[in-house]
Amino acid sequence: MTALAPTDQSRPVPPVLPVLAVARWPESDVDTVEALPPIAGFVLSAFNPLVAELAERCLRAHYGQAPADPVRGARTAVVLASARGDVTTTRAVTEALAAGRRVPPLLFFQSNPNAVLGHVAARWGLAGPVVCTSPTGDPMADALACAALLFTAGEADEALVLTADLATGHGEPDQGAAVLVTAMGRP
Amino acid sequence: MAERSVVVTGVAVRTAFGRDTGALLTDGFAGVPAFDQVSRFDTTGRRTTEAATLPGSPDLVEELVGVVDEACAHLPGRARAGVPLLLAAHADAEIPPLAGEVARRTGVLGVPRTYTGACVAATSAVADAATMIADGRADRVVVAAGYLVEPVTFALFDAGRALARDGRVRPFSAGRQGMLLGDGVAAVLLEADSGAEVEPLARLAGWGRAGDAFHVCKPRPDGSGLARAVDTAVERAEVSTSDIGYVNANGTGTQFNDAAEVAALRRVFGAGLARVPVSSTKSTHGHALEASGLVELVVTVHALRTGTLPVNSGYLGADPDCALDLVTDAPRRLRPAYALSLNAAFGGANTALLVGAP
Repeated sequence: MTALAPTDQSRPVPPVLPVLAVARWPESDVDTVEALPPIAGFVLSAFNPLVAELAERCLRAHYGQAPADPVRGARTAVVLASARGDVTTTRAVTEALAAGRRVPPLLFFQSNPNAVLGHVAARWGLAGPVVCTSPTGDPMADALACAALLFTAGEADEALVLTADLATGHGEPDQGAAVLVTAMGRP
Repeated sequence: MAERSVVVTGVAVRTAFGRDTGALLTDGFAGVPAFDQVSRFDTTGRRTTEAATLPGSPDLVEELVGVVDEACAHLPGRARAGVPLLLAAHADAEIPPLAGEVARRTGVLGVPRTYTGACVAATSAVADAATMIADGRADRVVVAAGYLVEPVTFALFDAGRALARDGRVRPFSAGRQGMLLGDGVAAVLLEADSGAEVEPLARLAGWGRAGDAFHVCKPRPDGSGLARAVDTAVERAEVSTSDIGYVNANGTGTQFNDAAEVAALRRVFGAGLARVPVSSTKSTHGHALEASGLVELVVTVHALRTGTLPVNSGYLGADPDCALDLVTDAPRRLRPAYALSLNAAFGGANTALLVGAP
């Protein structure tokens, strides 16, 4: 078992969280936007499929297949850090309004990042807190800090911690990472 | 964990009732709705055209700076420089620069993150702030949140048929049609009780979060996720549900959400629910989305301080699925020891904040 250290501005020496599983996107050249499995009900944007695929890879690496162990899943939080959020969906609505076009109703719920976490939580039976943030520093370190706070507060025993940001058009791809961390055995 | 007590020492709130609490505590608490035709942008083609807005087109950074300054007014500059700020706002590409500007202009320690989790964004920030203080990681944390009604979100909620077409929000009422959006910007300064240099306005006695693991956007109908969040808050506070004398409900005025919330309250209070006054102040100030939980926390603090429980406005009659002791017609004069502020969001995210009288 490896360990990752979150950062927290108010805590110079951060706690270390034991890691149960990890995943990344992209992992190789075959991980292109076209290869992201679609999710029923989510359209237009790669953001939500990216988050869902990261979660799938990480949870499959640990559990094999859905759902999670029911006892552990009941105490597993889902934390998502994304600096810019789903810019594609926001742009699609803005352009529809500017052109006087109808706004697709499906964009309603996918316009906030909680929605895809609801998909992940329902599929895997993760009933801990659901937290979404836009970090100002390193996304994974800050998301781990959020998980550490949930553990400290006794609100969760494990956390699926995700980072995801869409490509900015400056050469880098859509990218993200996922880790399943546990409060067990942490210092 | 061996926890330090967390107190609320500063609050500020801005809604369609104004940039101070005057009209909110009088008209808002009396159930006078602040909804009107939106004039900030063109609503042509929308099914609904009402929202509760401040005049003109306020700037989110200006409003956030204003509420942080107000909530931290008793802190000298050198003390404020050591206080981290947790923000809550809608997720978009402008958030990182916004957070930086608010931090710079308010002179706080910094903004590690902005909470973007829809209608529980602000309350999740409050829960983390309280944990930081209770655990000794920080002596003070300021939480600020803002949502100002704008055309993109308005169009999305309209397209999703979430907005009431009759221009009113009627939580838990027969004939309720949905929610309406409202401007909301608020800030709350939390401190360790042991270190607070001013008389606390209230105590944050408990907080809890839990998920539904149920659906992308619908709440779990049995309310079990929200009930677990409340249980966590109540256990943390080491009180009994019989000590809770008011619930500021999430109460969005939508069919599914209100019924699920009542199911959660039944699980928590059992037969005792009949004696707990409940209201949703979204019925007057509207739904401020990511900021809603902080606006409602400030409302709850004022309700405890003034001994005035605000009206659940827009009530037309009983819904059998929503049997509650709703505060209707006029504010109720009571001074409960504890009040709950509840929020729920897409993704099955639920939060409960338990506020104690100082």
